[in-house]
Amino acid sequence: MEKFQIRNNIRKLRFHHDEMTQEQLAVKVGVTRQTIIAIEGGKYSPSLELAFRIAHVFGIPLQDVFSYEPDENQ
Amino acid sequence: MSYQEKSVTVSLMSSLLILGYFLANIIQMVQGDGLVSTGVFRLAGIVIAAGIIVNIAANILTNIVLSIVHAIRTGKEEEERFIEDERDKLIELKGVKFSYIVFSVGVLISMISFVIGQPPLVMFSLIIFFAIVAEIIGDIVQIALYRRGF
Repeated sequence: MEKFQIRNNIRKLRFHHDEMTQEQLAVKVGVTRQTIIAIEGGKYSPSLELAFRIAHVFGIPLQDVFSYEPDENQ
Repeated sequence: MSYQEKSVTVSLMSSLLILGYFLANIIQMVQGDGLVSTGVFRLAGIVIAAGIIVNIAANILTNIVLSIVHAIRTGKEEEERFIEDERDKLIELKGVKFSYIVFSVGVLISMISFVIGQPPLVMFSLIIFFAIVAEIIGDIVQIALYRRGF
């Protein structure tokens, strides 16, 4: 079975939203800065609720923040 | 390092101290008169009580120290966000899972020691030993997961 991985554009989106810091985003979605770092680095896949909260902060649909793509390392 | 990570590190340190105290006393007993029920039960009581008290005290102290450090660093008296999010909960769950596995194996080893003819006090001491080791392994797993990202 082909392997997929969750990718995100959070870093880019933060930059386009007045260079929002990881801490500012963390406060807005109610998590720690370390969790934002882990999500951005692709080490942690957030819950659906947190993913929606992040998309809500940027005011865009979920699929514009997260994407499900084939794993390039395979 | 997040608040949760620091809290787990403090818990690991206190568990290591308690393990050291337990082992030092058990070794002393074995080298002296051997394992005596009153001595072993007293030690078990101390270890369990210390485990609870030291952990609570260390957590309160960590909270206070972190708040002071945060206030000095930022120059504000605002409270640092000591929150536990979904990632922290998942990491804690994984730590507990490893603790459970280690403790289960430990209890099995303790039972086997009894089956092969060791006195019940040895079995009891081994159960206490593996309970502390399980706590330490759980904390190490949590710290490793925090360091790795998840």
